[in-house]
Amino acid sequence: MAATVSDAAAPAHQFPLPKILTNPASTPPTLITQGAEGRLYKTTYLRPDTACALKYRPPKPWRHPALDQRLTRHRILSEARILAKCRRDGLRVPSVYALDESAGWLMLEWIEGTPVRVNINNRLGNRTEGIEDDEQLKDLMRKIGTAVGKMHSIGIIHGDLTTSNMMLKPPSAGSQSDGAAGLEGEIVIIDLGLAGGGVHDEDRAVDLYVLERAFGSTHPRAECIFDEVLEAYKKSFKQAGVALKKLEEVRMRGRKRSMLG
Amino acid sequence: MSLETVALEHVPSSYRIYLALFRNVRNSGFLHQQLLARNTDFEYAFIDASTIVSRLHLLSAIFKAVNSSANGALKTPNVHSETVVSLSASNNISDAYRRFGVSPSTTDLFVVKITFPSDSTPVPASADAIYKHLKDNVEGDIVPPTDESISSIADVKTVRKNYKLNGLAWLDAVKDEVVKREEIEKLVLSGMALRGL
Amino acid sequence: MPSKKSSWIALGCEGSANKLGIGLIRHTPTSATILSNLRHTFISPPGTGFLPKDTALHHRTEFVALARRAIAEAGISPADVDCICFTQGPGMGAPLTSVAIGARTLALLWDRPLVGVNHCVGHIEMGREVTGADNPVVLYVSGGNSQVIAYAEKRYRIFGETLDIAVGNCLDRFARVLNISNDPAPGYNIEQLAKKGKQLLELPYIVKGMDCSFSGILTSAEALAAQLLERGPDGAGFTVEDLCFSLQETIFAMLVEITERAMAHVGSSQVLIVGGVGCNERLQDMIASMAQERGGSVFAMDERFCIDNGIMIAHAGLLAYRTGFRTPLDESVCTQRFRTDDVYVEWRD
Repeated sequence: MAATVSDAAAPAHQFPLPKILTNPASTPPTLITQGAEGRLYKTTYLRPDTACALKYRPPKPWRHPALDQRLTRHRILSEARILAKCRRDGLRVPSVYALDESAGWLMLEWIEGTPVRVNINNRLGNRTEGIEDDEQLKDLMRKIGTAVGKMHSIGIIHGDLTTSNMMLKPPSAGSQSDGAAGLEGEIVIIDLGLAGGGVHDEDRAVDLYVLERAFGSTHPRAECIFDEVLEAYKKSFKQAGVALKKLEEVRMRGRKRSMLG
Repeated sequence: MSLETVALEHVPSSYRIYLALFRNVRNSGFLHQQLLARNTDFEYAFIDASTIVSRLHLLSAIFKAVNSSANGALKTPNVHSETVVSLSASNNISDAYRRFGVSPSTTDLFVVKITFPSDSTPVPASADAIYKHLKDNVEGDIVPPTDESISSIADVKTVRKNYKLNGLAWLDAVKDEVVKREEIEKLVLSGMALRGL
Repeated sequence: MPSKKSSWIALGCEGSANKLGIGLIRHTPTSATILSNLRHTFISPPGTGFLPKDTALHHRTEFVALARRAIAEAGISPADVDCICFTQGPGMGAPLTSVAIGARTLALLWDRPLVGVNHCVGHIEMGREVTGADNPVVLYVSGGNSQVIAYAEKRYRIFGETLDIAVGNCLDRFARVLNISNDPAPGYNIEQLAKKGKQLLELPYIVKGMDCSFSGILTSAEALAAQLLERGPDGAGFTVEDLCFSLQETIFAMLVEITERAMAHVGSSQVLIVGGVGCNERLQDMIASMAQERGGSVFAMDERFCIDNGIMIAHAGLLAYRTGFRTPLDESVCTQRFRTDDVYVEWRD
C-alpha cells in the first residue's frame, strides 16, 4: 500500500483493469503492486479527494475455475470481515469502504507512508555494525511487536506477517521532513488476505514464526534486534508469554523438520 | 435550486445521481404511503436523515446500489430501494426499510434519485423535472446536503445502535468529537460493505 | 600452479532417497560439460514405500557397477578426477550413509579430496546451469522436500516450505492407498490418471504465508479414496481419475501460490522448478502461466536433472571445490536434516 515501492518493482507491462476501474473517475488508477494476493491500485473512493486502495484478485488462469472462484470469494469476504473486526476492536488496519466478492475486489482506506520493510532497509543502508545499538530501529521493532500483540489479543492470526505487510504511517501528513528514512509513526497492519480467527497459542506461535523467518530472510543484518519484537509482544497481552514458549517449539520443529519421505 | 447533481468516482457514465435534503418535513406520512402503494411516480430513495452520519455514508449506499444495478445484481426491486437497503449492516431487507427508510414520523429527509437510460425509459427524467416533482410533493424546507447540516441532523445514538457500535470502550474513550465522528463513519462504512456476511 | 589450472573434473554420488546416481562433470572457467550421468532406481512394489534398509542395500549393491560405468562412459581415468562429491544430506540416513561410504572409498582409493554437498543446493545449482536461469526463485519439490528458495547474501534462503509432509510424500502415500504403481514413479502415474479426471472434488487448501501444509489434504484424499474403494465409482460419485485430478489441482495451486508470493516478495520474475515433482507437466504449465502473467518466465528441466542424479552433486560440489572447499574425512558424516540455508554459498556474489 506504499506510495513508493521501489525494491519490489511490479513488472512494467500493463494489466487489464478490473471492470469497476474502467468507469469514469477524476484521476486514473495507479497500479501500486502486483502482489501474489492480487493487484493493488491506488484510486479514489466516491470523491476525487478521498484516496483509497483497491485490492483486486484477478482470476488466476492456472487455477481450476471452481477452485479459483471458491478461493477468491472466500478471501475477499474473509479479509473484509477480519479488517472490520480489527477496526471494531481498535486495531489500526485499513478500514473497509466497499467490496464485491464476485468481481473479486475490495476497496480500503488508503494508508499513507511506506512498508516497514522500506523503512528498515533505508535505515540499515550498507551498515553492518552498530545495528544492535540502534535505539530508534529497536523502537520500531517494539512497535511491531506491540501491534502484532494487539492483533493476537483480539483473536486474529495474520497468516502472512512480513515487513512488507505492515505500513509505517507518518505522524501527520504535514511532517514528512525525514521521508522514508524516519522511523516515527504508527504501525498499520495490512494485507490480511490470509488472516483468520484464532486464539490458540500454536496459531499465534506459527504467526510469529512466519514473521521471524520472513524478517530473517528480508533483513538478515537486522536479525540481531528481532528479539525486541518478541519482547514488546510479550508485554502486549496476557497470553503472550505462553505463545512465545510455543514459538520455541515451532522453531525446533522447523529446524528439525523431517526431510524424509 | 437545491437539487444537487452528484458525481461519484467509478460510476458508469450512463448513471445520473441527484440528491436533496429536506428539513421540517410535514408530509412524511404521505410519502411513506406512496412507497407502500408502489406509486411509480415516486421512484426515489426516501431516507430518514437522522440515520445518516455523513455525506460519505449516504454516498456509499448510493455507490453500492449503483454498482449492483450496473452488474444486474439487485437484491431489491430497483436501484432506489437498493439504496435504502444498502445502508443496512445486515441482510434483512424489511428491517433495513424500517430502520433507514422514511416513516410517518420522519422530519428530516434525504431524497435520492438515480436515473439511467433503460428500455422502458430511454430518456430519463431531467434534473428540472425531478426538482419540480419533489417541490410539488415534499412539504419541507430544502437545504444544501452538506456535512455540516448532516451532522446537525444525525442522531448518533441511533446510528451507533443501527451499526452495533455500542460497548466499544476504545471508541467511547476518544475525546476529540471530530475524530470520534470519523471513526464512527469508518465503522459504519465497513458494516455496510459487509452487510452481515 | 593451481592458478594456471583451467579444467576441473568432479565425480558426484547421490543416494539420499531411492535413486542411486553417479555422474561426472567437467568445468572450465566458462563452461560445464556433462561427461556421464547414470542412475539406478530402487522401485518398491505397489502399495508400499521404499524402506531405508532395503534402499541402502540397493545402493550398496549397485554402487561399484554404476561408478565403473560412469567412469567408462565419461572416457576418462580416475587420475583425471579432481574431487569426489557426495550428498551429505538431507535425506534418509541409511541410504545416504551407504553412498557416503562408497564416496569415501573412492576418495581414499584415488587419493582425492571429498566434497560434501547439500542435496537441495545440488538441485538448485544444476537447475541454474542447465536452464541458464540467473537468479530465479526456486521451487524445490520432491518426495522429501517442498521449499521455495531465493538467493540472498551468500545463502539460499528458504522463504516458504511445507509445515508438515513434503508434496511428493503426499502423492506417494496417496498412491499407496489406491495401489497405484511405483514404476517408474507414483507421481508420474498419478499425473497420467489426472489427465483423464473431470470433476474437481473439494479438498482442504492450506496456505499460511509462504508456507503450506499437505497432511490435511492427504487425510481428506485418503478418506475419499477409501470411499471409492468401498463403494466403487458409481457409489462414490467420482472416479480414481477425478481424485488424482483434484489432488493435483489443489496441491499444485498451493505450490504456485506460495511461489508467486515469494516472487512478489523478492521482486523476481524468474522461477526455476527442481526436484522429482518438478517433472510433472501440469505443475510446470501452472507455474509457467503464473510466471508469464507476471511478465517473467519459468525454467524447468526434464527427468534427467529434475529427478535425483549424481551430476548435480558433482556440479555443486565442484563449484564449492573451486573456491577451496573440502570435506575432511572425519567430517564426512551425513546429516539427515541438512538445511538448504546452512550452506555458505561462496561461489556466488
